[in-house]
Amino acid sequence: MSSKKLIIIKLLTAVLIITALVISARSFLAHRNYKETVVAGPSVTEVKTLGDYFEPIKNTVADCNIYILDSGKPGAIFFVIGGTHPEEPAANLSAEILAENATLEKGKLIVAIRANRSASTVTRPGDAYPQFYTIKTDWGEKKYRMGDRWTNPLDSWPDPEVYVHYPSKQMLAYMDIRNFNRTWPGKKDGSFTEQVNYAFMQIIKQEKVDLFIDFHEAELEYPVISTIVAHESGRNIAAMASMMLTDMEFEKPISMEFSPKSLHGLSHREVGDYSDAISLLFETPEPFLDRVRGITDEHLLLEGKDPFVQRAGEFGLLYETIDEDGWPIEVRVGRHCSTALMVAQIWNQMNPGKEIKIKNVPKYAEIIKNGVGHYFKNPANMDSDRIYYE
Amino acid sequence: MGIINSIIEFSYYLISAFIAFILLREIVKTKDAQEAVLYSVIIIPFILRILRIK
Amino acid sequence: MFLHAGIVLIIIAVTFAVGTYFKLGIELAMLLSALAAAIYHTGGVPVRHLVEGAFTYYDVSLIFITATLFINLVKESGGIAFMVRKIIIRFHEHRYLTLLFLTFVLMIPGALTGAGAATVLTVGTLVGTVLIYMGISETRTAAIIFLCASMSAAAPPINLWAMMAAAGANMPYVGFMQPLLVITVIGALFTMFFLGAKGENPELDKILKELPVPPEKMNWTRVGTPFLILIVLIVAGRLFPFKMPILGLPLMFLISALAMFILSPKKLNILNIAGKTIRSLIPLVGIMIVVGILIQIMALSGARGLISLAVVTLPVWFLFASLFIILPVSEGLLQYAVAPLLGVPLIFLFNMKGFNPVIILSAMAVMWPIGDILPPTAVVGRATVIELDYSGRYYKDFLKTCLIPMAFILALCTIFLVFSNQLSFLVGG
Repeated sequence: MSSKKLIIIKLLTAVLIITALVISARSFLAHRNYKETVVAGPSVTEVKTLGDYFEPIKNTVADCNIYILDSGKPGAIFFVIGGTHPEEPAANLSAEILAENATLEKGKLIVAIRANRSASTVTRPGDAYPQFYTIKTDWGEKKYRMGDRWTNPLDSWPDPEVYVHYPSKQMLAYMDIRNFNRTWPGKKDGSFTEQVNYAFMQIIKQEKVDLFIDFHEAELEYPVISTIVAHESGRNIAAMASMMLTDMEFEKPISMEFSPKSLHGLSHREVGDYSDAISLLFETPEPFLDRVRGITDEHLLLEGKDPFVQRAGEFGLLYETIDEDGWPIEVRVGRHCSTALMVAQIWNQMNPGKEIKIKNVPKYAEIIKNGVGHYFKNPANMDSDRIYYE
Repeated sequence: MGIINSIIEFSYYLISAFIAFILLREIVKTKDAQEAVLYSVIIIPFILRILRIK
Repeated sequence: MFLHAGIVLIIIAVTFAVGTYFKLGIELAMLLSALAAAIYHTGGVPVRHLVEGAFTYYDVSLIFITATLFINLVKESGGIAFMVRKIIIRFHEHRYLTLLFLTFVLMIPGALTGAGAATVLTVGTLVGTVLIYMGISETRTAAIIFLCASMSAAAPPINLWAMMAAAGANMPYVGFMQPLLVITVIGALFTMFFLGAKGENPELDKILKELPVPPEKMNWTRVGTPFLILIVLIVAGRLFPFKMPILGLPLMFLISALAMFILSPKKLNILNIAGKTIRSLIPLVGIMIVVGILIQIMALSGARGLISLAVVTLPVWFLFASLFIILPVSEGLLQYAVAPLLGVPLIFLFNMKGFNPVIILSAMAVMWPIGDILPPTAVVGRATVIELDYSGRYYKDFLKTCLIPMAFILALCTIFLVFSNQLSFLVGG
């Protein structure tokens, strides 16, 4: 090849690569810096940030909002978190419905919508996730960051050769040092994600939380699905809630499972072990996460319909059923909201005198009927002091 | 521990920068068009990581 | 969707074939396939997806580069020549012990880097020379170097196929140390003794004359300390995880490399060696980056799902009876891309059917590198014949000589697949 031709090829390649760099860099930065709007609901009396409970987190990418909904009347204190794994949108959307709608008549509700904020600023290489998804509301569309299961490597790099969980010393996969649901109860001087968990444990301790709920979603190939995973201290509540919901509200059952004592780092185990709070974890099905899924796009993320996953089900390879209706986001968010309300109801029956009364949160059937977006308020119509950004 | 972690993290950016530098030199030096294209593709993630964009 | 994903797969296959027909390298042919599939699926060029895919194996690439730098520094300091000479001087009268220790030397570079090519490039010629002087034919020597290199690539602690597949399956890369060690050590020793047991005892003077002479001041302390540091760093991270800062494997390799640099009796130009290392690794790093891009586009378009679905709906008995062919052949075709593409659904299927996923993946992760002798890529096979200056015929001599040890290793792996539960006691480390 002549040197002139070679130079031309090199220059052309350079132009193409620089263009690709610029386009992709803009796209990655737009995603990392995008702010989601949240309208603080009527019962939100205070919005703190995670850094208020653990100073080193202050003003870092992990410094998420902590919404405090206080009735002013003594009662139980519940703490609900979404966004542990930001690739599971029903979790943060359910938490946001609580923060924007719940009215507290007794007790206190604390909500974190984006528990692992850093993980919501990155999508997983090799998995072709959409960067954003939009939810239709009564006043337009609301846009959200799609995230990953793990903390952004820009905030926590490198990973260890093997991740040894603190304090159990259990060995886990190296990347799980960035998995917010493998790093409980956290470590004060630990890795980035361990410090975030530590900060959350400070909230649980300082606010004297009675019951802790961690919203999740799971692939249908995964055995822990459509269930409440309960620390032994919460087994009665979880068992009752699953029975009541299966009997009265849900078309497809929700089960309950005990948190395995030998599996460490998960909220349902460590929050229960290292605080006085009862710890529960809710799972709904998310076909988007299945490895056998077909086209990876926002449609699959929100509609939960996929013929490949369905075919895998026909071969008996799944732990949850799926048909042509799929698992739409309304069903998934509806299950989370109803399960949280049912847990509160059963708590109240079991703890007379120390109740929590949560009103105005839509239940399963209502969310399916009206859609998730129906419960999000238009920030344009709100006072600026009620608007927060995630 | 915080300072040590920062030094370690910084050293990873240095490693990435060094690899990117070698790749860039190879892009300029190579006389093979295919190699030039391939090296240019390989350098992309290194640049974006050094710039803390991805 | 079935039709759409099927068309995407056809586009990928056809573009890849056309690319290689027009003499494009495997990496660029793969990149072109990804681009064609992306354009068909999106109707445009999804730049963000293409670039994001390039990050899929970023950290694995760093491990690979730094580990190879470490091994290259050991080589350049004269450490490897020193080790081989010492083995020959000490054991030249005991053929089996010599073979045993040479197998060990062949296993180190690949085990640390996860690449068979690293073994061939760093110790291949040296050990090859010794083997020929031990009366082993040129063809058999080449076969030994290739197969031991394959086993070293599969050996722990770094097995790139297992790491990539485990990461894709959200499965911890923990517990693989023992099963991988057992299979690869048996495989390497069988190869060495099957092909090299017969021959005359070497004439010490003749061999030593042929081998490069290490610097006079080189000794076991100088060559051993960097390896010891590496082991100490890895073990300390596991034993004192809450006191040790998180170094990560790349930095551990760099620290060990630095120790080698300091301890080397010969002054080493570390920047030059580093540059040379990266240059020599560009094709392998390139393939990892491009595989990431291809996987991202396949995931985007549903092609990955279709392959996964096809794999997971196959009967298990069929997989037992065919994986020993499918896995090496697919490796020859796609290199590391097979680990996430076929490995992940296979782990899922076997796990679902109640087999031990760690043993299953360990067995598969030893079968894959065997395929590095097969076309169209034949990366390690080609590197072996080039490095040893092999004068025989590639298929009729070299590949044919490898067949019996290959069959033995593949049969061993198949036994591990079928009896994964009975062998689950091996999981550990």
